Amino acid sequence: MLELLLIIPAVTALICLLLKDRRQVEWASSIGSLALLALSTYTSYEVVTSGAKDEGMLYMDGLSAFMLMLVAIVSLATSLYSIGYMGRELDEGRFEASRFRYYYALLHGFIMTMVLVCLSDNLGIMWIAIEATTLASAFLVSFYNNENSLEAAWKYVIICSVGITLALLGTILLYASSIQQVGEAGGSLEWSSLLGMADQLDPTLLRISFILVLVGYGTKVGLAPMHTWLPDAHSQAPTPISALLSGVLLNCAMYAILRYHMISSAALGPGFSGGLLVLFGIFSMAIAAAFIILSRDFKRLLAYSSIEHMGVIALGFGIGGSLGIIGSLLQMINHALTKSALFFGAGQVYARVKTRTMEEIKGLSKTMPITSALWFAAFLAIVGCPPFGIFVSELVILMAGLQAGELLAVSIYLILLAIIFAAMLLHASRMIFGEPTKVVEKREGDIAVVMMLVVLLAGVLILGLYLPQGLNDMLEGIAHLFPGGGA
Amino acid sequence: MAEINLNLINGLAAMVLLAAFILVATGRLRTMVRVFAWQSLALGLLAAAVAYSTGYWHIYVVAALTIVLKALIIPRIIDQIMDRIQVANDVEPSVRTPSSLLIAGGMAILAYYVAEPLIQSGETITAGALALSLAVVLIGLFIMISRKKAITQVIGLLVMENGLFMAALSLSYGMPLIVELGVFFDIMVAVLIMGVFVFRINRTFETLDTSFLRRLKD
Repeated sequence: MLELLLIIPAVTALICLLLKDRRQVEWASSIGSLALLALSTYTSYEVVTSGAKDEGMLYMDGLSAFMLMLVAIVSLATSLYSIGYMGRELDEGRFEASRFRYYYALLHGFIMTMVLVCLSDNLGIMWIAIEATTLASAFLVSFYNNENSLEAAWKYVIICSVGITLALLGTILLYASSIQQVGEAGGSLEWSSLLGMADQLDPTLLRISFILVLVGYGTKVGLAPMHTWLPDAHSQAPTPISALLSGVLLNCAMYAILRYHMISSAALGPGFSGGLLVLFGIFSMAIAAAFIILSRDFKRLLAYSSIEHMGVIALGFGIGGSLGIIGSLLQMINHALTKSALFFGAGQVYARVKTRTMEEIKGLSKTMPITSALWFAAFLAIVGCPPFGIFVSELVILMAGLQAGELLAVSIYLILLAIIFAAMLLHASRMIFGEPTKVVEKREGDIAVVMMLVVLLAGVLILGLYLPQGLNDMLEGIAHLFPGGGA
Repeated sequence: MAEINLNLINGLAAMVLLAAFILVATGRLRTMVRVFAWQSLALGLLAAAVAYSTGYWHIYVVAALTIVLKALIIPRIIDQIMDRIQVANDVEPSVRTPSSLLIAGGMAILAYYVAEPLIQSGETITAGALALSLAVVLIGLFIMISRKKAITQVIGLLVMENGLFMAALSLSYGMPLIVELGVFFDIMVAVLIMGVFVFRINRTFETLDTSFLRRLKD
């Protein structure tokens, strides 16, 4: 049953590779993503109502189901958006027509590796899947094959591979710590059984292992100071891919860290790994704040905003408790939806003005009023304006911090949020308001994209106004999976 | 017999570390590829010796894969890439060789101090090799940072991975076979993808010097 979740994107990738006709490839891609979302919804519903599924190498509990839904939703949005965006890039001759189907084949291959990250029970397989996400997306980042995208892709592959090598060392140490306590036969890399015998693991090895994993997978999450690949890759990749990298790839790597965090909390208490997550979270927010102020390119601005949000999510999980975990999970959904909307809007703007330098963009509200209004709403949502969902999730994390008595972390968190709020909105309003510098006639982008922005923003708005009962139950169920998360 | 085998294992582990030092010392790209191949061969033999003394058959598979993939196929791929793009044979270190060796020596000492508490708690016959493997990982990282050419960065990454395999062998007699196979597959694909990028970088920038990759910044 769970294998089917991997087979769907794999088959879709294969079909896209074999088809020659552009329309057929686009249909195959859309149907494949839709099927993945349908099956993910069904299995997640089963997991939430009737408990975790364990099928050998694959395992699915509430947290995996949650991540899987994120992957499936953003993947569907991305593949639908790709039709208009990549179609236009092709018409404008940014790449050769023969490579069109490779884009979709790589896209679905990339989606498959992310699904595997969410479903693997074995931490070794999870490592392989995360390395595979890098390899599958490397050619997507360099898809335009020009100097800048090559540089971005090279940095992406090299920095993430080094990071992930350290994570493998951490995984080996964790495995060794299980073997030394329970012998060769009991040695295991399956996190579901490691969690069960957490109190028997060697604490010294476990500590070193968690540090290595946090630094290693943290590179992929984009936690500062290992984040240097992220703004390059996000700004040079085709815009739909930027949304996928930002919305779900970073979350998938965070999910891997969470599995180790759960084992480490069960063995050593939540203080050690949680404290490290808080530290890296705050530091990432600080670095992101500085670069958000200095940004000149709007896609890089959005990339730094992703680093900030990953910092917020790490902070929430680090603080822990049921509030912190639920806040961070909500932040993951809200960020994925809002950031997709922002990147899609950015793609529309780029198609009109043909530049990403923010200084050269003025008066968008005059030239493309509806798109820029929605884009501005997405900016308001990402900085945490009420009534959008990010306001609520950031507030929940704040409350979790106050409840846990982390006053220093919480006050830095609030100051950084305020700085980022001001800087992001200043950048956005300079682009959107004012008089257009060049005379461009008034023309909206694709109507389909406008609809997608409306749908994504409506989702964030609904999450800001009320929490559906089903989602609430799911989140509380996930919080109970964390040692000490039921409180 | 066990005594001889232990000496053999420690001797081979020392050779892997020695190869890492030679990689830092050499000024020629071709030599780097050769030394990397020899290092992988020593690692493969080490795995075979561990397999022989423990009797776990899955370690033989790992040994064979290490020798075939890392000592034969991957060096050949890198050689072919260098032939095709006709890269100059100098390594072009950004840290000069004597200082590089000094830093590598410092890393070996650091690795020893980090590994010491772990060796104490270890029960495997190979626990002593852990310090050596951490040193190889660190030296691999240093090669990546301190050498400018794209190919030397790939070799540095592969050296790090050799160190990791030795760490896995010395701590827990390797990982479950399915994981090892997946890791080998990933390494293979990674080398191929990096090879493609090396081609494209060379064609686009007409150099392999990665210090030209400095256009993207804020």
